[in-house]
Amino acid sequence: MSTPVDRRFVADAAAHRRDVPRFCPGCAGGLGMATEFWEAEERRFYCSCTGCGWTGEITPTGAVATGHEPEH
Amino acid sequence: MLTAEQNEQLTQVEAGTPMGEVLRRYWYPVAFTRELEEFPVKRVELLGDFFALWKSPSGRYGIVPEACPHRKASLAYGVVEPDGIRCPYHGWVFDTDGACTSQPAERDNTQFQERVRAQAGKVEEMGGLVWAYVGPSPAPELPRFDTYVMDGYRDIGWADLPCNYVQIMENAVDPHHVEFLHGRYFEFVGKHEGFTAPASFGKEHMKIGFTAFEWGIIKRRVLKGATEENDDWKVGHPLVFPYNMRVGGGGIHQMQIRVPVNRTTTRFILYTVHSPDGYEHVEQPQIPDYELPVFDKAGRHVTNYVEGQDMMAWVTQGAITDRTTEHLGRSDIGVAMLRKMFREQMDVVARGEDPLGTIREKHERIDLPCEKDKFHAGGAQFALDFCDMGSTRFSPVLDTIKKIHISAADKIASEKAAAE
Repeated sequence: MSTPVDRRFVADAAAHRRDVPRFCPGCAGGLGMATEFWEAEERRFYCSCTGCGWTGEITPTGAVATGHEPEH
Repeated sequence: MLTAEQNEQLTQVEAGTPMGEVLRRYWYPVAFTRELEEFPVKRVELLGDFFALWKSPSGRYGIVPEACPHRKASLAYGVVEPDGIRCPYHGWVFDTDGACTSQPAERDNTQFQERVRAQAGKVEEMGGLVWAYVGPSPAPELPRFDTYVMDGYRDIGWADLPCNYVQIMENAVDPHHVEFLHGRYFEFVGKHEGFTAPASFGKEHMKIGFTAFEWGIIKRRVLKGATEENDDWKVGHPLVFPYNMRVGGGGIHQMQIRVPVNRTTTRFILYTVHSPDGYEHVEQPQIPDYELPVFDKAGRHVTNYVEGQDMMAWVTQGAITDRTTEHLGRSDIGVAMLRKMFREQMDVVARGEDPLGTIREKHERIDLPCEKDKFHAGGAQFALDFCDMGSTRFSPVLDTIKKIHISAADKIASEKAAAE
């Protein structure tokens, strides 16, 4: 019944399915809803746990831990 | 972006689905009061189910599933009688509690009558609308939100839209769209059609915020030239969970209602009360309702007014927007928050508890927080822009509404002058 999938972005949909957090960082229960959004180059998942109520954003970082350098 | 399963679950309205069960815990407007005065029975579709809604000669309302428990003929073609609705096919009668009180061609048999109860819902009239509750008993109270019970001059615009209600509700937690859809795009349309779009809608957003509260989510914004002391941030206005948004400004109070008729049809209702400072009561024997234009003769959306622009944006997302390939940004964080709220309430209902925004205490009036100085545009100017550039331009009582705002502003001005 849904609108047909936008074929231009099936890779993004697959990446979402692969990376979406499944378990609560607080209680390890299943996450109820995880909405992915972008902030600049980062993909973020706005998550909430229906078990313990934990709510927060999870950001996949990859292997490299990056810092930042404010202007100085 | 969501998974396909989450999108499916979020947008369901049918009985037996998690979200459908949440939605069945609320009251919905299913008719205009005048409709049942003109003809006492109406076929109603709500949450994907069909019902017969009627008003008895003594003024009692009833609602039962449309199919007669006997041979499934439509009770929406029934005969309205003092004690209930009589099926047009074989004359069985169902009262407002759903009890079968007559089976003319059968022997008296209370056991048979008890077996064929019609599962009645509850119905009340408020503010020119007929409201129905079709969920499990006991029904919560009908929330008497301020717009429906306050003094003021009313009209009701409506349109049936071919899309799921959730994408309309997501618009209610999306402040940025105002700046572009009702600002830049409005200017563009105006340039080509020869009118000037209202400047207040195009103001740049400096900050947005969302606060969960007992009735839903309060949406806040700081526009360029304003601060957090302005009404748009300090007060904001609420998404009233799960299917309303309260807006207003300049003496206008409005509830934007999005009734999930079925999964891909939403009845959009603009329930508006004009009650500026200085308003003097005007009698209204009947509240007028009028249909909003959605498409023109060529099948294109009518986008030269504010709500027409909204409807274009909602409907063109598709019947059920494909959230598996959307690309949200940080500015869409209110949308993510709303989805979280929907999901939480599915679990609340599954636990057997009342979801957010249901009320069981008797009450006179529920006042919702809503900014008065909208877009810091000045009261009367906002009201006149609202009349000319919004759906009110199609109202059959537009002239009266304008006069109400102008005479109220004149009255306040002369009172001020006299006081100085």
